[in-house]
Amino acid sequence: MSEGPVLLVEDDVSDFRLIQRAFAKIKPSIPMFRLTHGDEAVAYLAGDAPYENRSLHPIPCVVLLDIKLPRRSGLEVLEWIRTQESELKRLPIIMLTSSKHQLDVNKAYDLGVNSYLVKPSNNSELEQLVSAFRNYWIDLNEGPTL
Amino acid sequence: MSTKPPASTIDLRPGLHSPEVFRLLVDTVADYGIFLLDPAGYITSWNAGAERLKQYKAEEVIGRHFSIFYTARDLANHKPEHELRVAAQTGHFEDEGWRLRKDGSRFWASVVITCIRDEGGNLIGFGKITRDLTERRAAESRFRMLVENVLDYGIFSMDSRGYITSWNVGAQRIKGYTAEETSGKHFSMFYMEEDRRSGLPQRILQTAAEQGHFEGEGWRVRKDGTRFWASIVVTALRDEEGVLYGFSKVTRDLSDRKALLDQLNRHADELEIRVQEREQSNAELEAFAYSVSHDLRAPLRAIAGFAEALQEDCAKDLNQQGREYLDEIIKAAARMNVLVHDLLEYGRVSRVDLQLDPVNLREAVDDAIRQLGNDHGGSLALHISPDLWVRAHEQALAQVTFNLLSNAVKFHRKGLSPEVDLHAEAHNTAVRLSVTDNGIGIAPQHRERIWQVFERLHDRETYPGTGIGLAIVKRAISRMGGSCGLESEVGKGSTFWIELPLAEPEKEKVDPNV
Repeated sequence: MSEGPVLLVEDDVSDFRLIQRAFAKIKPSIPMFRLTHGDEAVAYLAGDAPYENRSLHPIPCVVLLDIKLPRRSGLEVLEWIRTQESELKRLPIIMLTSSKHQLDVNKAYDLGVNSYLVKPSNNSELEQLVSAFRNYWIDLNEGPTL
Repeated sequence: MSTKPPASTIDLRPGLHSPEVFRLLVDTVADYGIFLLDPAGYITSWNAGAERLKQYKAEEVIGRHFSIFYTARDLANHKPEHELRVAAQTGHFEDEGWRLRKDGSRFWASVVITCIRDEGGNLIGFGKITRDLTERRAAESRFRMLVENVLDYGIFSMDSRGYITSWNVGAQRIKGYTAEETSGKHFSMFYMEEDRRSGLPQRILQTAAEQGHFEGEGWRVRKDGTRFWASIVVTALRDEEGVLYGFSKVTRDLSDRKALLDQLNRHADELEIRVQEREQSNAELEAFAYSVSHDLRAPLRAIAGFAEALQEDCAKDLNQQGREYLDEIIKAAARMNVLVHDLLEYGRVSRVDLQLDPVNLREAVDDAIRQLGNDHGGSLALHISPDLWVRAHEQALAQVTFNLLSNAVKFHRKGLSPEVDLHAEAHNTAVRLSVTDNGIGIAPQHRERIWQVFERLHDRETYPGTGIGLAIVKRAISRMGGSCGLESEVGKGSTFWIELPLAEPEKEKVDPNV
């Protein structure tokens, strides 16, 4: 798996802090970088200012992407990534959202998402989810060249 | 009207041609009154037919003037003299009209008077042949009366070019013109200006002439200029040789029916629009309910999440009371989470596009039992054949069954562990699934309202729940074209049942690559 961090695109600060808390409980820790809206995510991945320095802002190994985001939605970010010419289009993307709506789920898969996770409603389930995510996507999964 | 003598086989051998034979023939003809008049009109011979028709015997009538057969009105008009004059001038006279019998009764006579001259061209008398056409005239008259007096149908006839030759009271009622006003006029006068210009009347006659008749509906104009919706049939009239001599036209005024139909169509259109609006507003409402529920969940996760974090990370900094309060926050958040979940579920089964497929009932029930888990402390007995299939939405059916099951184990009597029996059977075109419990039962006065959203019969401490479960059952079952109900006895238990259409088993999916 790539050396890059997990990129979390999450606008809700409460959700962010609870996810961050769950990430903090797993050892060894994995680096995480948080962005709050869709345009930021695109700028980060494209290496536009203020994210042009790749040693400070490396390409992530996986993106955890909310759907409901200000400006550009998670689905639009996903579509942007999958339509890039560069290796970026291979980037593993996982939706992490509160929407169980079948339309959203199907749309995400249509656009080429790698996995679709629904935010649990309590902490212990969230910790289980983060732990399972880490086991699978960080430890087991063989990532592409980015 | 010409009247031909009856055809008969006449032997033309010599001898048969004698005047005696001919006289015998005339004397015995019964259907025709045949007699001779002298130049002044006095009767000189009389045959059997004449006797039968006019009731006079030969000896009574010979020597009398033939005007005795005429009505007073004809006599006043000097009709007998006129007839003889015409016959003398032109050779013969034909007529139909009322004549009198001996007893004074009338009959409708067809009369031919032939002028008889000697070789020198001198008038020596007249031959008169009379036939009784009373019955035919009565039949014709009945028919004419019938046509003339029909009120609901405008019936009129036209010549071969479309000029009107007869007109009944129905036509007058519908179109407003009297017979005098239409006689000799062209029937295109009833058509709308644009129809006349486009040649519709001519096309109708042409079609009727070619195909025998024309049927159609359309707007026509009355005498007063108002429109009416006409249903018409035009029939071509041909003589025995097949030569077209005119048309008959039957017109019905269907304005009322047309107005009703138009109104019906307008209502159908309006309904269509309303259904569309409603579908649209349903979709909007669904989107609204979804985003409300969805957005409610975000702060809810925060409340629950941070309360749990507080409990976990900072419990030692709180006293007993603080920990109890925290407990209440966590429980309330959990309850609200269930509520939002149930509301989302209720919204989901209300969706218009609930896709229905053959679903194996046993599999759906097993699914619901798995969702229920094992910690309900009761026992379940299953009496469901694995080959029962219903037409349903798989997920919705599992949800419905789960709701019924969780109610069945939840509302148990104190100190009695729940025993639930699931039973299914097919009858005719439906399958009924019954869920029977040994619980507290439901009083008759509550059996209607329990199906409504947020209806609860108990406080939350005794029996927790959102009051949405049965509303989901009812809504989902009705969306799937089924029905549901219950039987219950307070203190004994309840049986909730659902019924769904029976379905053919889903065909095994064959993989073409195998």
